[in-house]
Amino acid sequence: MSRLLKFNIFRYNPADEVSEPHMEEFVLEETDSMTLFIALNRIREEQDPSLQFDFCCRAGICGSCGMVINGRPGLACHTKTKDLSGEITLLPLPVYKLVGDLSVDTGSWFREMYTKTESWIHTTKTFDPTAIEERMDNKQAVDIYELERCVECGCCVAACGTARMREDFIGAAALNRVARFLIDPRDQRTENDYYEIIGNDMGIFGCMGLLACEDVCPKHLPLQNQLGFLRRKMGITSLKKIFKK
Amino acid sequence: MSISYVPVGKSGKWDGAMDWLQMLSGFSLILFVWCHAILESSVVISPDVMDAIGHFLESTGMVQVGGPLIFLVFLSHFVLGARKIPFRFDGQKTIWQHAKMLHHLDTWMWIVQIVSAMIILIMASIHMWVALSDLPITAAKSAARIQGGYWAVFFLILIPLVHLHVGIGFYRIGVKWGFVKDCNRAKFKKVVDVIVTAFVVLGLITLARYYFMSVN
Repeated sequence: MSRLLKFNIFRYNPADEVSEPHMEEFVLEETDSMTLFIALNRIREEQDPSLQFDFCCRAGICGSCGMVINGRPGLACHTKTKDLSGEITLLPLPVYKLVGDLSVDTGSWFREMYTKTESWIHTTKTFDPTAIEERMDNKQAVDIYELERCVECGCCVAACGTARMREDFIGAAALNRVARFLIDPRDQRTENDYYEIIGNDMGIFGCMGLLACEDVCPKHLPLQNQLGFLRRKMGITSLKKIFKK
Repeated sequence: MSISYVPVGKSGKWDGAMDWLQMLSGFSLILFVWCHAILESSVVISPDVMDAIGHFLESTGMVQVGGPLIFLVFLSHFVLGARKIPFRFDGQKTIWQHAKMLHHLDTWMWIVQIVSAMIILIMASIHMWVALSDLPITAAKSAARIQGGYWAVFFLILIPLVHLHVGIGFYRIGVKWGFVKDCNRAKFKKVVDVIVTAFVVLGLITLARYYFMSVN
């Protein structure tokens, strides 16, 4: 006989005036290789069709199914029930706007963040679609790709103590994004330009180094190293700005 | 980050400078605390050794000048660090609930750092005032204070708190500024654990030496 899993799931529909935030219990029999994604789908199909949660790729690529699993932000599709105790508590990710139950709107947050950090290649060169693409050093390309692997699940920001306390803090996902462009040789922005974006207490100097972002990232991005790199880089830029005047 | 708030574009020239100062003041205080603990523990070898060190530091003016300077760095470090402390109740409630939810050691360590900072601010100020306003520093005077009883309890609280705060601060500087990379973080944490334990034990041995020293 397989384990009977007890799920405590946060329920609230902000679009429904009579809805009140509460925890609801569901019991489900565990199956082989069961992930939380499979479990939630079964609960929705077999017990409560009104249960809201997000998913898309089922393979840790789209980042849609981020939620707080027994206290830790993580991806439902990446989490196997056999790695958890028999009692599982699921909450929506904090920081983001709640859509309903376990579903949050990370999309608006990331779109806004990309606009704020001007998350695109800044260059004065005119793009020629017929020209052969410029070659890039392989290591440099790999380093950029490493930071590009972010799936925008939002777990890093939800796990960040600073972001929880201060809603103006830009978060690890944004800082990682800036680091990605900072090391890209095609981007012509100077260190002073980057300093205008993240050189303040809402940016890199607001980070307190609690490193929950690094510890919960489902894609194991090197966030600790990027935050250190940006702090040193922007720290030196701040000294240059002060002493060069 | 709320979607209606736009933090970018704010000039933060001094935010960077303050981050440097917070780190540098913290690092100098770490070095001071460790040196202080080692020199203080010389009483374990012999009260005469400690008196000789005390005499040297006072005759060269290091205590008279260095003491107030350390106090200044200490206060500056508190003010710089306090920029990140949630003084409003809602902020305190948020970080407490967050830490309880997350079960994440580094997040709890930050809370320990904040709570210990508040206690150290008061206790270390008292300690500095008492020591610096009653020069010269001698093993006999310190022993008499400890054997009075209240000061033993005072240091039984202050010593572990200071070394915990200093150890976490040392770890935090390493990982925050990227001096310690992700691949070495766990190892670095263990090294810091050993350093903190060693200094707490050394402090307790020093305290015990004062407590059982014969004062004529």
